[in-house]
Amino acid sequence: MAVKRKIIKERVPTPERPAEERIKSFVEVNLGYTFELAVKEAERCLQCPYNYAPCIKGCPVHIDIPGFISKLVQYRDDPDKAVKEALSVIWACNSLPATTGRVCPQEDQCEMNCVMGKVGDKINIGKLERFVADYAREKGIDEELLFEMVPKIEKKGQKVAIIGAGPAGLTAAGELAKLGYDVTIYEALHEAGGVLMYGIPEFRLPKSIVESEIDKLKKLGVKILTDHIVGRTVTIEELLEEYDAVFIGSGAGTPRLINAPGINLNGIYTANEFLTRVNLMKAYLFPEYDTPVKVGKRVVVIGAGNTAMDAARSARRFGAEVIIAYRRGPEDVSARVEEVEHAKEEGIKFEFFVNPVEFIGDGKGNLKAVKFEKMKALDERDSRGKRKIVGTGEYVTIEADTVIIAIGKHPNRLIVNTPGLKVERGRIVVDENLMTSIPGVFAGGDAIRGEATVILAMGDGRLAAKAIHEYLTKKRESKNA
Amino acid sequence: MYKILEKKEIAMRNTWYKIHAPHVAKKVKPGQFVIVRAFKNGERIPLTPVMWDPEEGWIVLIVFTRGKTTARMAAELKEGGEILNIAGPLGNPAEMEKFGKILAIGAYTGIVEVYPIAKAWQELGNKVTTLHVTFEPMVVLKDELERAVGRHLLETVPIDMTKSFPENMKNVTKRLTEKVRELLEKEEWDLVFMVGPTGDQKAVFEVVKEFGVPMKADLHPIMVDGTGMCGACRVTVGGEVKFACIDGPEFDAYKVHWDELIARSGYYTDMEQRAMQEYMRLMQQAAQGGE
Repeated sequence: MAVKRKIIKERVPTPERPAEERIKSFVEVNLGYTFELAVKEAERCLQCPYNYAPCIKGCPVHIDIPGFISKLVQYRDDPDKAVKEALSVIWACNSLPATTGRVCPQEDQCEMNCVMGKVGDKINIGKLERFVADYAREKGIDEELLFEMVPKIEKKGQKVAIIGAGPAGLTAAGELAKLGYDVTIYEALHEAGGVLMYGIPEFRLPKSIVESEIDKLKKLGVKILTDHIVGRTVTIEELLEEYDAVFIGSGAGTPRLINAPGINLNGIYTANEFLTRVNLMKAYLFPEYDTPVKVGKRVVVIGAGNTAMDAARSARRFGAEVIIAYRRGPEDVSARVEEVEHAKEEGIKFEFFVNPVEFIGDGKGNLKAVKFEKMKALDERDSRGKRKIVGTGEYVTIEADTVIIAIGKHPNRLIVNTPGLKVERGRIVVDENLMTSIPGVFAGGDAIRGEATVILAMGDGRLAAKAIHEYLTKKRESKNA
Repeated sequence: MYKILEKKEIAMRNTWYKIHAPHVAKKVKPGQFVIVRAFKNGERIPLTPVMWDPEEGWIVLIVFTRGKTTARMAAELKEGGEILNIAGPLGNPAEMEKFGKILAIGAYTGIVEVYPIAKAWQELGNKVTTLHVTFEPMVVLKDELERAVGRHLLETVPIDMTKSFPENMKNVTKRLTEKVRELLEKEEWDLVFMVGPTGDQKAVFEVVKEFGVPMKADLHPIMVDGTGMCGACRVTVGGEVKFACIDGPEFDAYKVHWDELIARSGYYTDMEQRAMQEYMRLMQQAAQGGE
């Protein structure tokens, strides 16, 4: 007999550190659920059946969301067991839940279609996922699960090379290792994690969490070669001699610049450079850490995606007055709602319908101000559904000693220049199985998409792992026949 | 982790490191560089392999002590110890062609980068003259260059202790440009190549330009990742924005926007000084505490 549920309309909120406190440090903003709060939120879930659940359909890696949530309620009297059961459900699809629980745009994915949304607040799926991962890590439950899992993996005797230790590469590596393949990741930087390490700030995704997720992959048998730049240290052709398949998850490594006079003035950073200095090289701890960064009194961030919010909020933590300047209107801001809210709470100002046309120097090579053309929106929409914008011929100058350009990225040229690799507009071309024009070479994430989100890259990593598994299974069978 | 097989001070402020780095030794070509991160809280700094052996898997770096990171390397790294990270090889190899008669100039430690390129050019059948201009106690690779190229010229400037370091550096620039002028006046050249501080590269270019001789320069803008990801090393060449790490490091000196490059190179000077002072203070404290 079905149990009659009591509908709780309001979401159980997660505690957050107050804005005035958090702009003084890089410590994480959101504090996450306790077990009691997590169970309370989990109880609100209507438990839609697996084949129907719209949240699963909205998740690029198709985590059994009602499945993991139900474990928290089912074993509420035994928190350790509840978390262990929930984590094994998540791990079936996602090896990096502490990360995705923090940085996924849940409001546009799993939570978007949540049935609870029709009567009240949607289930806080992201924060529940994060809770499971954090609790498991703190209590060593993830280690326990790995310990049980690893001996059961049947070795396939085939080798896969993965290019790039970012979200796409790490996911593909984890999935393939679980299937018994011998996996080696080639990473250009000195630390694995890709954008999770260099791009996303500590206050949103603590680096120790990324490191612990990567440690788990190593325990699954994944090898990581840092300092190896594919395209320079080793080529894809050379990898194909040693490995049975290759996955390119090299990301969108090259920043887009603005074609305007003064772009190379001192004080103008690409978001990649600024965030790499701050996050990967820990410039906020200078001079204890050797890498410097200069954040002026007035910082203008150009762009309005998640990267722009990350850059703006990082600059704010250096004590700067920060303005986000965007050539479109508020409705076209692509950053997550939560990030925009956090930015506003932290005192960051927004200027809309302004397009930079010139960077003005002080005569000594340093930035002094930015000249913008005021823009206006038309009713007509472009291919992405955004309203077209045109210049008004009116200009406004904003004083700034630092500018951070966060208008997107192109895939890295070192990879794209591989002979025989089909590329269109800088992006690697793949078929429906994510295979490139070179047999046995697959690609996913920003290398094929231009620029997207962590979870879309992870979805590609998972899909590619499945395709590589099929490809290598055929290869194995034809060899044995 | 990369093992330090040999470490020695070969000249004032110049340290020689022979390091086990097979992934670089196997691939590196003259003109390419590596990014080294020596310490957990250290910077990523671009350095140039001077010699290497693909079979034995080692590379040699000669590092000039110029700031906190390089000072720490000189003071704290030990033979038999390890360097955390060496990424590479990075950048494009130098163009290997028969140019004819080449003047390859290295100012200060710039000669370290000139060495493998000049050697390869000579081996290819070019007539290579190398010119090293530096302070007297900072001479490096003299014997190696004399063996490797047709003619090696060494011009040294004494350090005048009564004058400031920038004043002393002006003397090097003066000797450098005078010598280049003399060589261009007396002989016919097909190519000039130059590595050294950006200010000196520009000064040499101003002389070369008068004679209309083609000139290449290896540029050293500020770099972070070295793989085309951050854009810190951008430089205007022929009116276009280029990234020195993936488009360079070698560029046509006639097309480089020198003043912009000089301004960009100096952006962190004040912070570098602060880091150095802080490091010196800690060293002094440690020394006093040890007594």
